[in-house]
Amino acid sequence: MTDAPAVPPIPRRSEVLAQHKAAGGLAAAVFPGHHPRALLRAFGVLPVEVWGPPGADTTAGDAHLQAYTCPIVRAGLAFALSEAVSAVDMLVVPHTCDSTQGLGALMLDLVRPSRPVLPFYLPRGEGESAVDFLADEIRALHRSLARICGREPSAEALAEAVRAEEEADARFARLLVDRPRIALPDGDFYRVLRSREYLPTARFVAIADSVIAGAPGAPAGVPLLASGMVPEPRGLFDVISRAGAFVAADDYTCTGRRSYRPGIAADPHLRMAESLLSAPPDATRGAPVRARAEHLLALAKRSGARAALFHEVKFCEPEQFYVPQLRRALEEAGLRTLVLETDPVAPLPDQAVTRVEALLETLR
Amino acid sequence: MSAWDPVWHWNVNVLGASFLRLQRLRSRRALERTPEHPHLAPPLETGPRLKELISRHYLKGRHAEGRRPVAWVTSGAPAEFLNALGFCIIYPENHGAVCGIRRVAEGLCGKAEDAGWSRDVCSYARTDIGAALSGETPVGKLPRPDLLLCCTNICQTVLYWYRVLGRHFQAPVVVIDTPFLYGAEAPEHAVDYVRRQIEEAVQVAQNVAGRDLTHQRLREVTRLSKQAIELWGEILSRGRAHPAPLTAFDEFIHLAPVVEMRGEAFTVDYYAAMLAALDERVKKGIGAVKKERRRLVWDNLPVWARVRWLSEKLAERGASLVASTYTNAWAELAPMVDPEKPVESAARVYLHPILNRGPGHKLEVMRRMVRDFGAHGVLLHSDRSCKPYSIGQMDQRERLAADGVPALLLEADHNDPRAFSEEQTATRLAAFLEVLEA
Repeated sequence: MTDAPAVPPIPRRSEVLAQHKAAGGLAAAVFPGHHPRALLRAFGVLPVEVWGPPGADTTAGDAHLQAYTCPIVRAGLAFALSEAVSAVDMLVVPHTCDSTQGLGALMLDLVRPSRPVLPFYLPRGEGESAVDFLADEIRALHRSLARICGREPSAEALAEAVRAEEEADARFARLLVDRPRIALPDGDFYRVLRSREYLPTARFVAIADSVIAGAPGAPAGVPLLASGMVPEPRGLFDVISRAGAFVAADDYTCTGRRSYRPGIAADPHLRMAESLLSAPPDATRGAPVRARAEHLLALAKRSGARAALFHEVKFCEPEQFYVPQLRRALEEAGLRTLVLETDPVAPLPDQAVTRVEALLETLR
Repeated sequence: MSAWDPVWHWNVNVLGASFLRLQRLRSRRALERTPEHPHLAPPLETGPRLKELISRHYLKGRHAEGRRPVAWVTSGAPAEFLNALGFCIIYPENHGAVCGIRRVAEGLCGKAEDAGWSRDVCSYARTDIGAALSGETPVGKLPRPDLLLCCTNICQTVLYWYRVLGRHFQAPVVVIDTPFLYGAEAPEHAVDYVRRQIEEAVQVAQNVAGRDLTHQRLREVTRLSKQAIELWGEILSRGRAHPAPLTAFDEFIHLAPVVEMRGEAFTVDYYAAMLAALDERVKKGIGAVKKERRRLVWDNLPVWARVRWLSEKLAERGASLVASTYTNAWAELAPMVDPEKPVESAARVYLHPILNRGPGHKLEVMRRMVRDFGAHGVLLHSDRSCKPYSIGQMDQRERLAADGVPALLLEADHNDPRAFSEEQTATRLAAFLEVLEA
């Protein structure tokens, strides 16, 4: 264990967005899930992801969505209908689950925000037909972006954007793999990881490089595996840290499950499709339980995790369906598990704190 | 798995069929002795035959294990090729509905919850998982699946649900992923993607069944499917008559054959008989609700455990559910089915059900129903267990109201009675009907 090094300065989403807009660039608010970042970058569009955000007022969303709809989607709709949406030029809505499907369709059909809505379907099938379909879906998104932006990137610019994103993806994956050897507290580590959601590619790569090079050593505490949709509310990391543990292995859709390998094809759209479908097994893609269990066990082995935290968002069906069988698989392998349900846009409840502390006490 | 099996033949075709025929006669006699309901017409005379069809379907399933290849299939899946390959097909959603009607769904949901599944996941899935874990079912016994066929055109939920079943039964899960239609028509790359997946699924099914699909048989099954779907559409259209000879509550019950037995000649025969019975009612001016004063459209799945209760509550006030977006889902795509191109047309057909399209399309369907069926209002079942069907209803209600069509949002759940408040529903319905009558 070494002293935690300083994290390089990371600007906030709003600052990055304001800078980009001030320089005359276009920006897209991108709702949760997998999406072809390189394509947006090639058009000069800054993708800024919207996973909540924490503390969001969901009232405007609640007027259109039932209370049993996932809070990320209710907050997302509230954002799309608020004044804040004027900071972006378009809304990209990947098809991540039934609720984001509803969000995209609702905004296209009945509750129109002031910005154009671009849906994007992520295939749940496997094999060549899924890759080909996804490549065509990315081409359709390309055409929509060309209409909105009024221009198209050259073939070279598109290829360069794909190459640059693959480089950033490699850094992102390296951060995740090296986590047990990076002496940053979880809060700081996740600030670095999640800056991928809005930083321009080169800035993210520079920050990732400085963290990889400058933070050798192991974080303090018991290594944990965390799985879920999004690592919010971030207060959870303080609780984990205070209780003497850290997240050594990540299986969040927002982070670990977006650790992409580079594509192979020369065609840029096909290459982006190959890369997106190379991600680890994901609930939102309906991966087989066995594939997910094997992936989690491999993550636990690699990171030395002694317990798994299933950190769920209320009403998140993709995650909730898998939990019982995954828990069983991990427990049979000797890991302790805990299911924690939180609301990413609300503070962490006291009960969650107590439950995390209780889990970690059993590991001492 | 031989084509002719003496044990199967004896149990299903001889003993079972005789017993079920006897049951049908008993049901018919019981129907004749049923005291007259003050507000509802007598049940349709084809009811006992429906009961026989459904019982026979589950009887086949009960004896299928080891004798017939068994597939568990989602309700919106292109199952025609499985039928043509001789599979015994079980529909977990229909089984869930049977559990709901028989009032055992709550207990089965509880078994899934005890095993760790959240109460927030779909109640059909919880019912079915509870049944798989416990082996309990009101239909006697469900055969273990050799294959699980999951089509995502009704929701993504089925995909996670079938992954759970695949793990539990150690059975292969074949996914037919149908990209959601954000626009009016499916783009060609989506049609091509679905076609390729169906072709891949046929390969897997052939391996499981140990036989090859003949295209002649597939065309024949598709032709029978189309006939059943067309007849079902005709049946639903009879709701336009004043008074309506059937309600959506009748449709919910009589929907079973077109979902789980389409592609069969007996299903076509059954719906032809049902249509004749309805035409007879129309001719005689018999309404399903005796004193029909108000006509309503239903949106979303039924509340299975309260079908009878809701039917009586509405009939008391002279309200008849003359159409439903849910039962219409199995009728509206009939023109797209082409028996001469069974795979190509299936790819297109199975991309277009109402649940694979946006809330704007559903609003248009409701508007059309209000117009064509002469409805005075709409009941929107806000189904806690079915987000893809329910998201959008709050705005659909507002748009309908702006059209001058009152609409009521009823909070419930299709298969978990704990999410249904009889008292609250009765109060809200009464107030809504008072508004309609004012």
